[in-house]
Amino acid sequence: MNAVTFDHISRSVITGATGTIVKQVETLLDDGLTAREILNQGLMAGMSVVGDRFRRNEMFLPQVLLSAQAMKMAVDLLKPKLLDESEEGGNAHGTVVVGTVKGDMHDIGKNLVKIMLSGAGFEVIDLGTNVTEQKFVDSLRQSGAQYVGLSALLSSTMKHMKAVIEAIRREPDLDHVRVIIGGAPVSREFADTIGADGYAPNAASAVDVIKGLEAD
Amino acid sequence: MSITGRARVKAALNHQETDRVPVGEIGGGYVEEFVRAIIGDAYRTDEDGYFHNHKLLRETLGADIMGARAISPNPDELVGEHPEWGTPVYRNFWGSEVTNPPDSTQQLVKPIAETPEELEKWKPPDWGQFSGDVIARWKRETDFFILATTNAGFDLGYEILGFERFMLWTALEPRVMRGYYEKLIETNIGFAKIAAKAGADAVLIADDLAFNSGPFVDPDYLRRDYFPLLKKQVQTIHDLGLPVIFHSDGDLHMLMDDLLDCGIDGLQSCDPNANMDIPELKQQYGDRLTFMGNIDIDLLAQGTPQEVGRVTRDLIRDARAGGGFILSASNVITKYCKPENVLAMYAAVTEMER
Repeated sequence: MNAVTFDHISRSVITGATGTIVKQVETLLDDGLTAREILNQGLMAGMSVVGDRFRRNEMFLPQVLLSAQAMKMAVDLLKPKLLDESEEGGNAHGTVVVGTVKGDMHDIGKNLVKIMLSGAGFEVIDLGTNVTEQKFVDSLRQSGAQYVGLSALLSSTMKHMKAVIEAIRREPDLDHVRVIIGGAPVSREFADTIGADGYAPNAASAVDVIKGLEAD
Repeated sequence: MSITGRARVKAALNHQETDRVPVGEIGGGYVEEFVRAIIGDAYRTDEDGYFHNHKLLRETLGADIMGARAISPNPDELVGEHPEWGTPVYRNFWGSEVTNPPDSTQQLVKPIAETPEELEKWKPPDWGQFSGDVIARWKRETDFFILATTNAGFDLGYEILGFERFMLWTALEPRVMRGYYEKLIETNIGFAKIAAKAGADAVLIADDLAFNSGPFVDPDYLRRDYFPLLKKQVQTIHDLGLPVIFHSDGDLHMLMDDLLDCGIDGLQSCDPNANMDIPELKQQYGDRLTFMGNIDIDLLAQGTPQEVGRVTRDLIRDARAGGGFILSASNVITKYCKPENVLAMYAAVTEMER
């Protein structure tokens, strides 16, 4: 077999090559590369291309889902090694709690955000749909997550985003938590009005928004 | 001489102007909370309530359109209770199980298939058993334009199979999925036949294909495995003597030529949030398509009557020339739309009467 490179790993993510990616990652580990190098230079590089192409309508949802599957298989393999390599935990960027707010059962957009964030190396805790303010607060406290992503599809439920932000801001031990919102009826103006830290107009941009907050 | 709603919409589809722009919604069009808010004490809950309430609602608003569909001979079957929400779970005639959680839209509990093999074996309901009586009654007893609601293979396909599973299988199981679309489209052609026999004036094919940012799936995939089937569906409805209005949410710019090639007569939704601007679309495609939309549902929910009135008047001014335009909201009038805003939208149509 020819030598496996980071480029091979990236391409496997981009093409959603679930049949080959695990073997390729194992080969690189055998060659002495660290899990973090494989994650950053192979997997995340590939997922970044996926995000860009998805945003530009050069790649579509089914292929993104396949890429995410390939990514997940590789990350599952690397996870124990990442924990060994890192003193501060295994995830490259941090942890994000995501959920659709109270009264709203829509989850397609939220699931896409989850896929894109997982693909970019974030640990994602998915609270599902119809999530109460208290459930967000409890999960943020238990997980120590740095970010929370709130989703709503309905004009009637997006007001609950404000209630979640207020509930988080009331807890002094959660003052490090940054809130990102998104969903069909949500706008940047609305995000500013309710005091969110970030607004993601689509799933792929959620990654950039959180990375932007990271850099602050 | 006053013109009926039916004649007004027909003229618009024939690219002719009449006294005013036709207006109305697709499908049921308005949630019951909204109907009750508008017609107040006249709202009835008896067996014939739906007909009475929706007729009165449309007469009050000045709407020209009624949406109705072929009805299954069997009511949805109660199969249990949702473990988390405590709401009843029903099995519908497609074979999927659904529930209506409090304060939300219907959710899929159990799909029609969990493996591609199950999907291949899946059989759609026998459309021949469905009834067109409701459509026939609306036609007989009102002057509304009767727009029969049907679907095709995509939106309905993921509704009863589950969105992520559907999308993944388009990539992994294209042969099985094509067979699935064929079954769904064949059944919906059957529903259109029932509607035509019952006197419907046009057929709506409701089939969401896109996000606000663009198509869900690769347009080339649709061209290979989907649009040929949709084209056949449209052709069969034309052979029945009826025009087709196609509904999809989302940004359809990448698919416009394909939809035109399928032969559709009208396009509904044209959501401004998805970059679908009717005056602009009309400039490019107005000689071949009638556009139906596109008052933003969020504006109806959050705006003021003054804003809604202004936006509606501007749209009518910019889109009415030469017919080929029907005013509607960009989606179903939901319970969070303010009644005064919807009234302002409909009032603006009358104000702009020539």
